[in-house]
Formats: sequence, structure tokens, C-alpha cells
Amino acid sequence: MVKFTINGKSHTFNGDEEMPLLWYLRDEAKLTGTKFGCGIAQCGACTVHVNGQAQRSCVLPMMAVEGEEITTIEGIGDESHLHAVQKAWIDEDVSQCGYCQTGQIMAVVSFLKDYPNPTDQDIDENHSNLCRCASYIRIRKAIHRAARYLRGEM
Amino acid sequence: MENFNRRRFLKVSAAAGALVISAPGISFAQGMSNERYRNLDTNLGFYLKIDGDNKITIGYSVPDDGTGVSTALPMLVAEELDVDFKSVNVDKLPPLYKKAEGENGYENQTYKGQPIHQSTGGSQAIRRSYIMLRQAGAEARARLVKAAAQKLGVSENDLSTENGFVVHGSNRLSYGSLVDAAAKVTLSSEPKLKDYADYKIIGTDQPQKAALDIALGKPIYCMDMELPGMLNAVIARCPYIDGVVKSYDDSKALKVPGVRKVVRIHRIPEDRNQQKIISDGVAVIADNHWAALKGRDALEIEWDDSKWAHADDAWLNSEFDRMVKNGKREIKIEHGDFDAAYAKADKKLEVAYEQPYWAHATMETPCGIADVTKDKITVIAGNQTAVRVMNDLMKVFPEYRHDQFDVTLMRLGSGFGRKFIVDAVTEAALCSKAVGKPVKVIWTREDDLEQDFYNPKGRHVFRGGLDKNGKIIAANYLHCSTDNDFATHAFPAHNIPNYRGEVVHKQVLPSGPWRGPTENVAGYAMQSFVDEMAHLAGQDPLEYRINMFRETGDTPHPGFSSDFIRADRFINILQIAAKNAGWGKKLPKGHGMGVASFMTFGGYAAAVVEVKVDDDGTLTIIKASGTCDPGVVINPLGCKGQIEGGTLDGFSAALGQEIKIDGGRVITNNFDTYHMARIAQAPIEFEAEVAKNNIEPRGMGEMALPAAIPALCNAIYAACGVRIRKLPIADQLKTAMRR
Repeated sequence: MVKFTINGKSHTFNGDEEMPLLWYLRDEAKLTGTKFGCGIAQCGACTVHVNGQAQRSCVLPMMAVEGEEITTIEGIGDESHLHAVQKAWIDEDVSQCGYCQTGQIMAVVSFLKDYPNPTDQDIDENHSNLCRCASYIRIRKAIHRAARYLRGEM
Repeated sequence: MENFNRRRFLKVSAAAGALVISAPGISFAQGMSNERYRNLDTNLGFYLKIDGDNKITIGYSVPDDGTGVSTALPMLVAEELDVDFKSVNVDKLPPLYKKAEGENGYENQTYKGQPIHQSTGGSQAIRRSYIMLRQAGAEARARLVKAAAQKLGVSENDLSTENGFVVHGSNRLSYGSLVDAAAKVTLSSEPKLKDYADYKIIGTDQPQKAALDIALGKPIYCMDMELPGMLNAVIARCPYIDGVVKSYDDSKALKVPGVRKVVRIHRIPEDRNQQKIISDGVAVIADNHWAALKGRDALEIEWDDSKWAHADDAWLNSEFDRMVKNGKREIKIEHGDFDAAYAKADKKLEVAYEQPYWAHATMETPCGIADVTKDKITVIAGNQTAVRVMNDLMKVFPEYRHDQFDVTLMRLGSGFGRKFIVDAVTEAALCSKAVGKPVKVIWTREDDLEQDFYNPKGRHVFRGGLDKNGKIIAANYLHCSTDNDFATHAFPAHNIPNYRGEVVHKQVLPSGPWRGPTENVAGYAMQSFVDEMAHLAGQDPLEYRINMFRETGDTPHPGFSSDFIRADRFINILQIAAKNAGWGKKLPKGHGMGVASFMTFGGYAAAVVEVKVDDDGTLTIIKASGTCDPGVVINPLGCKGQIEGGTLDGFSAALGQEIKIDGGRVITNNFDTYHMARIAQAPIEFEAEVAKNNIEPRGMGEMALPAAIPALCNAIYAACGVRIRKLPIADQLKTAMRR
């Protein structure tokens, strides 16, 4: 049995502990904002936070989340209280198809904790999520904008 | 008949028809549920819903795969309706089909005698909706004005409209207060559409209406949907090209907890000489996706790989050698006398370019949900066109009548042409029929990259001759491809007086449309060739292109979506891109600038790229300047996004993407081996600009890419003298610079 929290709520899991967290989130917890993209931690569409740090949930087995605090896109903001990164994403009109963007946002929320004032080089070296629509020009702008929101400059 | 239907419709407000003004009190079902339209008649048409409290909702029926049609199409309606677009809600409608005559089961519903365009792809969504959706808005506005005139007892000429109100002096009547009466009035003539100069919404930057749902992670894609009691399936498809299942043992798979059933899926069509629609394989149906995956891993299958067992990259390249040397050539286009002109050319160039298979790799892998019952087939899909979903399913389930299908198309986690193919949904329907429950089929990324309908591999052989002034007087373009679709007629075919375009075709991997079909690779080859000829002539590659069009003027273009290339538009976008890039300025050591331009599906694109190549061959893309001229620009913010994305998509393909085959199967089957660009490969600087004009619009999704790839390759040549004659670029520069 595995016990953990998702977005502050307690969860208990009794099934196959090899199952990646991604499929627990999608198929059991019905939190479908976390997306499947590759299954081998290459694209980042499935990014969630484990104790506040970005992790790719498609390769994180359930046995590894015992006692952990999981945060998904559904847990970082809502319509009336958007997270600064969500707000920056909307303000820069980043999304095209949008499928990868929840993973992008979750990765950036975590990244900006470590790099509150990121350079372009910091972004290039640390942000590796795939966007198939290649919306990278606006993702970069949105990261800088979100950083300014979080620093209280805008 | 048309008028009768419209009158009938408007009288009853929420019944069948093409234009809906719903009266207060008649509410459409709310919420994200797929059930929302079930209680309404089908064939709703695009609609305007104006509530009593003046809340305005505009419906659209084209699925959005990221090109922004779900924002741009409602803008067309809103323009003529005169509403505040920021406060307008948009809403996706179910597909509007009707029974067709003849071979196809279904076709698009019509409005004013024209089919309502309902697919995304071919850069056609805007082009095919531009007039019709404005007519819908204009008709609604005219009815509201007439209703207001009757209510106030004034002439319609004394009334104006703005932001959802009919205005008479200081008196303002909300549209919401007029809908009952507006539904009853009779219009004496077809309302006149606005002039381009009077547009207030078209041409303004509008953020994507779906942006909030996307940022919050709302369930908006097929992958996120569920039907009650639904099971999950994954399918072991034959990994060998055109291979089939010889035998299989499912005893271990059936022991995996959660696995319910194992089902044999047969190739469609059965004839392996025809391109597949769905692959041969074995489906594992389980309670959830993970159990189905484990069940699939436990299957023991013997495959028949005999058809292409000999196929690998070396063999395929030797096949291309043979195609070039003695393939059966078909002349697609010829004017002047190439052989005579080439024989007496002052300078000559013979050169070949190669490009590999590219996969679509849509971010949301193919996925389909189906519930096949005795009476009905319910489908939730992420496909680019509903009518094709219906028609393909009808071939597999001919015992169902047209009114027994219920298709819902979700937002697509990208399409790029891949999701014209109806394989995942068909598989889900076959599984559902076998297990008697709704089934969702999810493709893994390995499934996706192994089983795709790839952009064809090609080799492009040019012979070109210059006269003493450096002008191209003769060119021969031979395009050898694994698909039977070519663009040998594209620029500069008609700018060269003696030209022969010819093709050789050999099918290997299944192929299908990929962003800018054929133009995507013809752009690379033809615009690299023009660049090489400019350098051979010792002339500036930008001026060289401009001069070609100054000399010929407009040229014929007997291709898809346009009959000719307009010289002024072509020159204009080249000049805009060059100005934004600072073409001609002094660049630091190791830097170089390249230019290319292309016309795709009636839309014009130019790109100027600046790169830096270090002494060790490290490539950095410094800046890209992309310009497009699609005609009237509906949403410049969205169009610029398509320029940015299309350009970077091209860079990604050019830099690293390559499908490799070995032993008759695709071996680059996930993102560790199929290399797609990340943010680190994107230029820091990007200047996107759309040209302004009032020519009837073309699409934007596919314009930018065919010019972006050659502009990058031409920039690399300018920076370091290495000509990219084979894609992907991969580590070619490191190897070349070492020498």
C-alpha cells in the first residue's frame, strides 16, 4: 500500500506499484491535466511536482511516491487565482495546440524557484520540455514574464 | 428550399438550420460534457447564441489543432455582428454532416448552397470560411437591426450597431432584448458585407480563446475523455513494414491483473500491396492503460516480416541511386528547351539534395474512443475531419445507417496532417465491438513513430545553367520520392525560360500529408538550388530572387490553392524579411545570413536566418525573421505564432529529425532516437511580420516551413562555406569543419 498526497488531498494506492504515477493521475485520480507524451522521460508533457520539485511522472513508479506530496497542474492555480506562470502563459499567448503546455508550466514553476532571475542561458540549460508546435519563442518570453511577476516587478 | 429551411429554423429557434439565434429561455446544455448537444437536432450549423442578458456565444465546427481557428473563425462572425470580441464566448459544435449521393456516405452540410468547411488541414479553414461566416454574422445583425426598427418605430437607416447593442441616438437596445423579434422578421435582401476598411475585429490581435482552459489543464483532448464503463486498449502492431501476425500466444497476457480480453486486429486493407489504413496486430483490452500495456508486453507474437525484411537505410539509399540513374521518369512540367539551353550555358551546376523520412510525432499520440452497440456507434476522436471519420468507419461497419453514428471531435494535441488518418478510432471501434463495452485506444510514442504515415524520403537532382549575365537560363529538376506527390512547378520553375521538372516514385514506408505536403521538401531543394546559382553567378541571393520576379512579373502556378504567383507580393515579403533581419549589414566573424522564399497553398513566405558557426562546427541560430502574406490577416497575433512555430518546426526537422529503418522496421521510435528541437536550439531573437493587404485570405498553418529550412541551410553556407545537401544537418558541420 502506498500513501501520499495529491494537491493536498490524501490518497492510498493498493494496485501494481510498478505503475507510473502518470497513469494513476490520469486513470484513477482523473486528473487529466498531466499529459502522456513519450513514456521515457524525454518530452516532459507529464511533469508534476514531487515535494515542490519538477519530476517526469511517466517514469515515476507508484512505489516511489510513498509519503510524498504530489502537485499537479490542477493544484497550482484556478480560474480566479492563476499561478504567475499560468498568467504569463496566457498573457504571452504561448499555446498553439496546448497539449504540452501544462507540463511546460509545471517545469517552469519549479525552475523559477531555483532561478528567480533567469538568463536565456539558464533557460536553455535547464528547460528541456518538448513543444511539438515549437512555441519556444513565446515560452521564453513567458518564462521571463513569469519571473518578473514572481519578483513583484509587474 | 434554402429559404424555407432558414425561415422554419428561425421560427423555432433551436431546430435544424444554418444560423441560430436562440431566444431567451431556450438554453443549450451547459458544461464540458459530450452530452451537451444530444438533445438538439443534428445539423445545427454554426450558430450565434444570444442570451437575454446579452451574453453572446459563437459556435464553430472546425476542430482546432493549434493553428487558432477556434479564435479566428468566431472573429469572422463577430466582425459582421458588431460585438465586443473580448466578451464573446466561443463554443465547438458537433460536426455537421449529411448523407451524400454516391460512393461516400457523408459530406459536409451546406449553407447558402456552399459546403460548410469543417476540417483543419491544407491551410484551408479560414480560406473556406471567410465569406460564409461573415454572411452568418451579417444576417444576424440585419435581423437585430430590423427588429429594433420595428420596436422603436424608426427607419433602419437611423440605427447603428456597436458592441452588442443597436443604437438610436442615446437609446441603446441590447441584442439580447431583441432576439425573439429578430428570429421572426423577414429580410428583403441579402445583407451587404462590410468593406475591408471598416473592419474593427478582423486584423486585431486576439489571444487564443482556449488559453485559459489550456493553462489550467482542463480536459479538452480526446486523450482526456471517458465514456461510462470504458475499457482501455493498447495494440501490438506488426513493427515490420507491411508485416502481419503469423501466430500469437496470449496465455500470459490474459493472466495480467486487469486484462479482460485479447483481440486480433486485422490489417485494413488486407492486400499488403496497398498502403495500410490500420496495421495488423493484437489488441489487449484492460481496465486501465497500464494493465493493457503490461498485457501487451506479455504477448508472444511471431511476425511475418517477409515483405520488406531486406529494407534498411543503405538499401534505401541504393534504391535512390537506381531511381536517379534509370528510374522511369515522368515529366510533370516542361517549357522551352532545357537540353539546348543547358548545352550552351556559360556556367553549369549539377547538384543533388537529400532529405529523410520525417514523422508527425503529434504531441498527443493517436487516440480514439468508440462505443459500438447494436443500435449505435458513438465516437470521440482527435481527428482533423469528421466526414472522413464517418466515411472510414462506415466502410468497416457497413451494417449501420448514417444516423446511427455519433461523432464528437475534440481539440487536437496537434495534427500536422497525421490526424486525417482514422486508424486509432477504427481500432477502438473494432475493440469495442469485440468486448461489448466502450474502449479507448491509446498509442504509445513507440507505436506512433513506428506506425506513422511519414513525410516521404526524397532525392532532388538539379542541373542548372547560367548565361553570361548570371541569369538562370536552363534548369532540370528531378525529384525522386517515396510518394507520388510533387511540387516541381513551384518557384522558380516559371522564372526559368528552359525548364524541365520530372519525377520518379517508389513506395516503401506508408506516407501521408505532413505540414506543407511536398512543398516542405521542394522548398528546401529548390531554394537551396536558387541560392547556389546566385553564388555561382556571384550575385547577392536576396537581389537575385527579387530580380527573377522583376524580370518575369507574375508567374503561373498550376498547383493547389492558387493559379499564379504574384511578383509584387513575393518581392514585398522578401523585402520585409530582409529589412527586419538587417540584410547586408556587417556581421561578426563566423556569422552568416541566408534567405529563402516560397509560395505554399496560395500563401507567401520569406525567411531570413542569421547563424553562427564556430571553428569546431557548433551551430547557433542567432535570429530568424519570418514574413508571411496570406492575404487578409484575421488575427495577427495568431498568424505570428504560426510563423514562429512553422519556422522553428522547420529548423527542428532540418537539424535532427530522421526516421531510420533497419531489418524492415523503423528503429527511431521515441524521442531519445528521433531528435526534435528544444528551446535551446531556438533562436533568442525572432521577428515575425505579416504583410497587410485586402486580398481574400489563404491559410497560415503551412506557409512558413518550406522557406525556413532552406533559409537556415543558406545561412550556414554564408557563415562557413559548408553547403547542406543532405538533411538532417545533425553533426555534418562538426565533421566538415574538422577537415
